[in-house]
Amino acid sequence: MIFNSEISGEQQHTTSPVVTGGSVIALVYNGGVIVGTDTLCSYGSMAAFKNVKKIAQISKNTIYASSGEFSDFQQVVKELAKIDRSALQYDDGVHPSPKDYGNFLARLSYKKRCKINPLYLQNVIAGFHNGERYLSLVDIYGTYLESNFITTGFASYFCKAIISNYWNENCTLDQAKQVIRECFKVLFCRDCRAHDVIQLAYVDAQGAHIEEPERVETKWDFNGFKSRANEKLHTQ
Amino acid sequence: MLKHLYDTDCVTWSPQGKLFQVEYAMEAVKQGSICLGLKSNENVVLCSLKRQPSELAGYQEKQFKIDDHMAIAIAGLTADARVLCKYMRTECLEYKYTYESHHPVGRLVFKVAEKSQHKTQSGAKRPYGVGLLVAGIDPNGVHLFETCPSGNYYEYKCQAIGSRSQAARTYFESWFHLFEKSTLEQLILHGLSALKKAIMEDEELNERNVEVGILGKNQKFVHLNAQELKDYIAKLETFNANTQIQQE
Repeated sequence: MIFNSEISGEQQHTTSPVVTGGSVIALVYNGGVIVGTDTLCSYGSMAAFKNVKKIAQISKNTIYASSGEFSDFQQVVKELAKIDRSALQYDDGVHPSPKDYGNFLARLSYKKRCKINPLYLQNVIAGFHNGERYLSLVDIYGTYLESNFITTGFASYFCKAIISNYWNENCTLDQAKQVIRECFKVLFCRDCRAHDVIQLAYVDAQGAHIEEPERVETKWDFNGFKSRANEKLHTQ
Repeated sequence: MLKHLYDTDCVTWSPQGKLFQVEYAMEAVKQGSICLGLKSNENVVLCSLKRQPSELAGYQEKQFKIDDHMAIAIAGLTADARVLCKYMRTECLEYKYTYESHHPVGRLVFKVAEKSQHKTQSGAKRPYGVGLLVAGIDPNGVHLFETCPSGNYYEYKCQAIGSRSQAARTYFESWFHLFEKSTLEQLILHGLSALKKAIMEDEELNERNVEVGILGKNQKFVHLNAQELKDYIAKLETFNANTQIQQE
């Protein structure tokens, strides 16, 4: 992957992201892998784009999401799609497996980090291949980790307790969905760059399923919010 | 025939639509000593007859491992074979580095074929003078390919190339319907039987001039060692191709 800026010599180095996506949470469950993100892209502290689909389907049985610079996310989606398309050129029926994408992205990220011009992303690749679940994290440096659960961003701080208490690797799809919804509820309360509309996507033996965005339930009608001693506040 | 008018270089067609330089390159393959390959649902076996330039010399190796899941047997110019072998090994390493998985076999053969074709369309180059039998296993199954100096490649159930290979191919034509379900041992014995058909009257197969390489879904490419070769060659005496079992 060579950028025009590298050829023309005007190369700049990504030192900080501009438009960013929030946390990604991914879990394996009995029969597949599920990924959840919120649908917000922040412009610094401004919640600029509130209806963004941040989970991409790369191939029949692989999905990809990331947190960090959103333009890098869009570029990576293009690069990964290129690989699948070039497989058509050989016309031999061999398609990359989810692991192939994960490793490719790791090598790409590492290459860019070595040029001090990273893809400013924490990447999550999830897939289901030959009856096996696949879930990996590739970070900004090109570190590659396969795991049963992945969290990026603030989720790594707030959500691991919820995941370890309520999830195991053989839970059902619905249980895993509930855990992710619970995590995003907490994130919406505590992470300033989080949003309460989330999107879930899962991959199983039948392929990738990306669901429509949904709003997580949050509760704000506490008595303490509704009325304080000697004061009548606005109701919701 | 006025061949000599049209056979100076690769960029001249003959009136019959032939590229003589490419055809001459394929002759070089036919001059090489025989190598053959055959596959079942689970395994691929490569057998070759090694040549000895003189009594004092060693035998020229004809089979090379490309990766754990792929190997080649060569017939023709060994020096050209080395170039292609190095290319294939490099491609497999790069693929493994990027994707952490094995290079799909057909795809690498296609790349070699593209490279070979390139040499047939230039005024300043000559075709590779070597044919390869490429044995490999990938998610698509068990494969045996043949590549040609012309840049063509073909997939086979079993094939023999090199000098006197027609005799081996005749053997294959009679028995290849059994190969799909053969065990590894039966496959090796069929391969050696075919090889035996192709040697001269005063020659004999022994563990020094025969090379056998095996590859399987759960078997990385490996050469049979001298003792194993001896045992298999001894078993040839009583091997019945039809029933694929040893007869007393």
